Amino acid sequence: MSISNETLKAMIRDYNGVELSDEELSLVRPELDIYFTELEKLEFLDLSDSFSGRLMQLPDGSQ
Amino acid sequence: MPNVDVLRMTISELSPKIQNKEISPLEATEAALTEAARLQPTLNSFITLMYESAMEQARESEQALVRGEYRGPLHGVPIGLKDNLATAGVTTTVGSKVLANYVPEEDAEVVVRCRNAGAIIIGKENLEEFAAGATSNNPHYGPVHNPWGLDHVPGGSSGGGGANVAAGITFASLGTDLGGSVRLPGTFCGVVGLKQTYGRVSQRGLMVTSFNGDHIGPMTRSVADSALMLQVLAGNDPLDPSTVPVAVPDYSSFIGKGIKGLKMGVPSNHFFDMLDSDVETAVRASIASLEELGADLQDVNLPTMEYIGAMRISAMADGVVTHEEFLKNHRGDYGPDVFYRTIPGQFVLGRDYSKSLKVQRLIQEEYLRVMQQVDFLVTPTAPVPAPRIDATYIDINGENHRVRGAGSGFISRNTSPLNAVGLPAISVPCGTNRAGLPIGVQFISGPFNEGLLFQVADSYEKVSPSQGLCPLVSVGQ
Repeated sequence: MSISNETLKAMIRDYNGVELSDEELSLVRPELDIYFTELEKLEFLDLSDSFSGRLMQLPDGSQ
Repeated sequence: MPNVDVLRMTISELSPKIQNKEISPLEATEAALTEAARLQPTLNSFITLMYESAMEQARESEQALVRGEYRGPLHGVPIGLKDNLATAGVTTTVGSKVLANYVPEEDAEVVVRCRNAGAIIIGKENLEEFAAGATSNNPHYGPVHNPWGLDHVPGGSSGGGGANVAAGITFASLGTDLGGSVRLPGTFCGVVGLKQTYGRVSQRGLMVTSFNGDHIGPMTRSVADSALMLQVLAGNDPLDPSTVPVAVPDYSSFIGKGIKGLKMGVPSNHFFDMLDSDVETAVRASIASLEELGADLQDVNLPTMEYIGAMRISAMADGVVTHEEFLKNHRGDYGPDVFYRTIPGQFVLGRDYSKSLKVQRLIQEEYLRVMQQVDFLVTPTAPVPAPRIDATYIDINGENHRVRGAGSGFISRNTSPLNAVGLPAISVPCGTNRAGLPIGVQFISGPFNEGLLFQVADSYEKVSPSQGLCPLVSVGQ
């Protein structure tokens, strides 16, 4: 997956008005590349059996 | 002249001498503060030295001893705190320019526990900006230098603490570990670094942290000292919902028990896949030593580790949310590494965040299954010894990996999975590379089974080739 520089700039601008130059975008890209690479790996992973963890528990001795 | 011989002891050696009044808390504290000031231009390991309050604490500590009030093994023992742990009335910068003048009103819970146990806090230690990285190459307060090689990083993000414990300035330092930030300074500085089970130690007062997987843990010069520190830190905190109300055992009772008959799992995938050759040699030798000590070796497979990188997706989103307010008003106060690494979190889609959490659950379940087959796992702590401070990339088998900033994460590839699953892990020194830089081996046990972790780590420590080694830069040198 790839996103154009202009789209990236617009999205970052939406984030509290931060403006990035093309040079700065090249510094951000490596992190995005990791994101897309990891997403690709998940494409064929079956997550239907993954259930949420137990969030609440009784104190010791309670019923 | 300060009595530097005192500073070369472990807590286990010092505390009986304090209890018997052979060494006074004042003597130990004065020595620690003097050496901290002397070595600060070399190591840059502190952001704030707390000379007056530490000496006042030491005097109170001494008076308590005179009254017969001994508070335990940390009584009168000088320690350091990573500068992202809140300290009442003392600047807590989190290694940032944004919070350069922030003074908390309350101590973090772990700080309260250390003070109540009699520990003397001598300073706030340098770290990666916002604790977000593995080098402690801080753009605002300067890089921390590794006492084993001053041109090398001490690891991060709790690098100041690792350097201080290795150099003998502090007897223990408290760090925080979101992806390896206690265990990496442990391995790079040749000290013991512990990340206990998620929920074992309160995180209340840990500043600017993630929503998922941070831990406060000790760095020490011995496994026995790590057990003493966790004894003080562990326990339910009713004001921190991440802590779990489970009993805290006597950790020191696991020291010296031996490991004969314990089942030792060695992962056949991920952890040994991309290693510096000296690291692999040292860790394979550690495994052989553990077999000689009586552990029963078993290969284990962790197939879901193929997807461990998905944890980065949730971390990116958590990171940008954590920094949202600061980025809004202080963009110019950020260093480039943290800024360009944080901003991309903006792009993480909700569906991908949700997938990342589901993957985390799958990996957790797999580890829990494996921990029913073996008593503990052994892995290298880091794939490489400490990189140079000026390194942008490190080369492993012809592949370049970023050391810091956007796209980095290679250094923490063996530590961060344990943050995702929450299991306890400890790094113990296991020798050095050909250049004399320390290497660490990581032991992992089942949830809330830190006692067994200490049992294994202590047994190994006694036969480790790191025994008796000392860094180039240390107290008295």
